[in-house]
This record gives sequence, structure tokens and C-alpha cells, in this order.
Amino acid sequence: MAAAPKHSPQLFESIEKVEITSQVIMKITRHCHHELEKQLDPNVNGVLLGLINENKHTLEVTHCFPLMNSDTDEGMEINREYMLEMERSLRQVNIDYQQVGFYQSTYLNTHCDRNFLDSVFDYLEEMNEAIALIYDPLKTKLGNLCIRAFKLSLAAFELYKEDKDFTALMLRDKSLTYENLFKEIPVVVKNSTLTNVLMCELDKVQDNTSFFTLPTSSYLEKSMQLLLGGLDEINQDLQKLNMHQRAVYKQQTQIMKHVQERKDENAAREKNGLKALPEEDFSKMFKPPPPVGRLESLLSANRIASHCEMIEEHVKSGIGKLYLADSFMS
Amino acid sequence: HQETEEEGSSGINAEYGVDNYERRHDNNKRVIGSLLGRYDKGVVIITESFAVPHQETEEEVSMDMEYAMRIGELQKKVNTNLYTVGWYSSGIIINEYSSLIHAFYKCQCPTPVHLTIDTLMTNQKMKINTHITLPIGVKNGTEGCIFTPVPYTIQGAEAEQVSLKFFQQLRGSKKTPNFNDQEQIINCCDEMISQIGVVLGHIKQVLAGEAPADKELGRQIMEVVQAVPNLESDTITNMLNSHMQDLLAVEYLTYLTRQQLAVSARLNQIL
Repeated sequence: MAAAPKHSPQLFESIEKVEITSQVIMKITRHCHHELEKQLDPNVNGVLLGLINENKHTLEVTHCFPLMNSDTDEGMEINREYMLEMERSLRQVNIDYQQVGFYQSTYLNTHCDRNFLDSVFDYLEEMNEAIALIYDPLKTKLGNLCIRAFKLSLAAFELYKEDKDFTALMLRDKSLTYENLFKEIPVVVKNSTLTNVLMCELDKVQDNTSFFTLPTSSYLEKSMQLLLGGLDEINQDLQKLNMHQRAVYKQQTQIMKHVQERKDENAAREKNGLKALPEEDFSKMFKPPPPVGRLESLLSANRIASHCEMIEEHVKSGIGKLYLADSFMS
Repeated sequence: HQETEEEGSSGINAEYGVDNYERRHDNNKRVIGSLLGRYDKGVVIITESFAVPHQETEEEVSMDMEYAMRIGELQKKVNTNLYTVGWYSSGIIINEYSSLIHAFYKCQCPTPVHLTIDTLMTNQKMKINTHITLPIGVKNGTEGCIFTPVPYTIQGAEAEQVSLKFFQQLRGSKKTPNFNDQEQIINCCDEMISQIGVVLGHIKQVLAGEAPADKELGRQIMEVVQAVPNLESDTITNMLNSHMQDLLAVEYLTYLTRQQLAVSARLNQIL
């Protein structure tokens, strides 16, 4: 049920915040937890349903359902049929059936890769207000509910439409850096009145004290390893860029050499009274090497930045907890 | 044929039932839906639910059975561990329509569980009840079945409990889930201080002779106090210092990396 996709910058920027009901969050947490029991780094994702509230510039997410891992073609086929079936069925029970985005779980902020970018782009193409919800199960386990909403910035969206691999020139035109590749939209949790009553009714939940665990080295180690991996990727990318520049430079010198040779030859011929050879356009003969795509490096930079943020926060709270432990023991 | 003695269910299903109730058509006084989950040694664990279209008037009741079976199959495709284990309805009334619907679910699983959520809030409380049916009556005479209550508990994984706690703190207002660790620490410290205050108050009362001394409680408090490891102060300071230095070094490195990234981004612009 897709109307002709309207791409207008106003629609893009029209969403200022995302309202989620607690039901959606519980479903996402349960789905992720269920998959986490099987393997440490599962690829958990699902579809978000809801509606757009134009007056209040909010996107309300009211329902969601999980999708299977669709690595194989057969899996993707099943997923598609599943989505259509669910849409039809949900309509019968008065649940919003409009897809407003997708959710995905992340492991230490490594979700930000090419696949993610593609999915966000697909959803944005269909609906300019679509969002991607990222849920961090490890951080939530430590006591801090971590759900964030992202979408591509307008500049990134337009660039990606034109060319899947950005070039340096395009980046400079739109002044796109790794910082404004993705835009984060604030998330607000809102419940209906009856749900609030239910919340008050449920017995007080057992407090989990794992929040006070001291900053363990394994968490830091893993984050540092990922950081190093990201830096390696950027390094490789830089090397590619260097080679490209060298190739361009070499080509320029070759062209100059040829032009010079032609000039010399022409001068010699004129001296001998022969006709001068035409000075061809050498740039057509030597095709410039293709420009290097900058998308991967942007994504790596983004990932590294988010890792750094995560580590910094972890370290700050870790120092606090260490002082606490000190006061206990001495 | 398993005797279900107890059951555990996730808080999500109650929420789903409430949401379903709010979206119902105007002429339906109650909503129903299927419950999915699995059996585990005499305990029914309910993990998912979905709404089923159904109409109910004073004279007759009808529900879309094919819908229920179709969605059940669909959910099974995504998550193979799910079976239909019962059904839920809003409102606490159990009447003959309930037994009709229950009979349908009996075809799906041996002992279906019936969960009611009192969304109308009689007695000013939203009570959740769970029942199973047991046959009563005289053999070869009038037979029937009776809905008997079974105890239930609400369980959840740690992450779910965190989110549940967050929602309980909402209490009607909107809130952004804050992932700022430092604020969290302050909140948790405050909670801990208040809890310690409660325990201290109780101990003082017992010492003053006002409250009766409970041996079990005393033992537990002793355990908590002794849980703090008793090491020499030198080792403690060494451990803490080295840990602290690790953290500071890491922070410095990440700070450097961030600055480098920012510089490279600016350079890319100038290129």
C-alpha cells in the first residue's frame, strides 16, 4: 500500500522525536534476549509499525514484529510473505499496519556497516520519515535502557541516491563528514493510561544489582579490539587513496611528457619543412583512474567515533564505581 | 496429559491484552486473543500473544478460528519453539461463552490456560487471573468443566526487568531513556542509601527492644556485611590504583583518536 514516494526535504526534517510505547520495547528486548541465548552476536531485526503525528512532529511506534535472519534468498522470500500476511491480519484487529521503520540489535556499537546503511536507505526511500531503532542489549543488561533512533541525514540520503560510492568531491560539495552521516532523533517512551495502571499493579520488579559491577577488563578489551579493527580499516582506505593519488600524478606526468614530445617533434619537423603533426587531445587517450569511494571510510570513522564515545562513558562511570568500592573496603 | 501446577508469564502479554482492549471495536465488550509459549516440567511458560477478531453479543458468540490457527502457524515459522498454550480475555467474567472458546483451544493443546485481565477495573484494581479447566460431574450423567485458578508469576530476563523498572518509574509522564551512566550511578546510589537506611532503622529498633528480633533476618544481614572482602589496605590501594590507571590510559587514547578523526574530517573538507 505504498503511495508514490514523495521526496521532499520538509518531510525529511519533519520528525523531531519518536514516541514508543512500552509494549514495543518489551517485545524488542524479549526478541533480542531470546536470540542472545543462542549466540553472542546475533543478527536480530524486525519491523516497526505505527503512525505519524504531523501536528506534534512525532513518529509514534505502536507495534512491532520480529523477522527471521534473512541471509539466504529463501529466508528473504519467507520474510516477505510473512510481512504481507502480518499486515493483512493486523488490519483485522485494528492495529496500525503502516511500516515506519525497522529495529536492530547491536553488539558494542558495531551495527554501523554497509548493510545497515542499505536498509536505512531502503526504508527512507519508501517513507521519508522512517527511522531505525537500535537497541543495545548488553548495556541494558547493566541497568541502563539503551534505545536510540537514527536516520540518514538529508545530505547523505541525496548523495546515496545518486551514487552508491561517494567520491571526495561529492562529500565536499555537501559538506558531509562522518559526524553528520547519521542523524539521531530523541526517543520518548509514552504509555497509555491503562498501561500505566498495569505498570503500577505489577509487583515491584526485582532490582538487579549488576549495574554496580566494576568495569571489567573484558568489556574494555573487546571495545579496544573493535577500535583497533576500525583503525585498520581506515588505514587501508588511506592507502588506497594514496595509491590513487599516485596513479593520477603519474598519469599527469605521462601526459605532460607526451605533449612535450609532440611539441619537440613538431618543432623538429617545422625546421625540416614538413607538416606539423596535430596535437591531439591526450586526455582522451589516457583515461583518468576511477575515483576512490569514500563511503567505507566514512562508515569506519563513524563506527570508531561511536566506540570512543562508548569507551569514554564506560571509563567515566568506571572511575566512579572504583571510588565507591574504595570507600567500602577501606 | 500434564498437570499444570504453576505458570510463568511475561509481563508483555498483559500489556498486549490491555493494548488490544483499547483498540477494540465499539460494540465489543471484551477482546480475546491467543497465548503462545511452551511447556516445561509442569510449568506453562507464556512468551507471546496475539489478538484474534471476535464478536460477542448477548445471544451468540463467534470468533475467527481460522485466523487464530493461521497466525499461530506464522509465528511458528519465525520461532519454532512456540506452541499455542491458551487464550486471554479482558474482563473477569467467565461465562458459557468462555467454555465454548476454551473448547476450541482444547483442540490446539492438551491443557489450555485461560488468562483474564480486568481492564474494567472492578474493585479498583487491574487483577490478572489464570485458570485451567478440570472436568467435573457424574460419569454418564451431566458432565461439565470448571475453571480453577492456578498460581502465576511474572518472570523476565534481566534486560526485560530493567525496561520494566523504567516503565514503572514513568507513571504517566513521558521520559527519554537516559543512557548517561553517571546519572544512573547517582540514582542507584540514592536507592542504595535509602535501603541501607531502612535496614539500619530496623537494627536500631531491635537493639532498643522495640521490634522482635528475627534470627533469619539477622543472619542475612550478617551475610551482607561479611560479603565485603577483607583484604589488607595495601593490596586494596594497589589494585584500585592500577585499575584506575588502566582506565585513565584508555580514556586518553580514545580522546586522542577522537581528535585525530575530527582533524581528518576537516582536512577532507579542505582537500
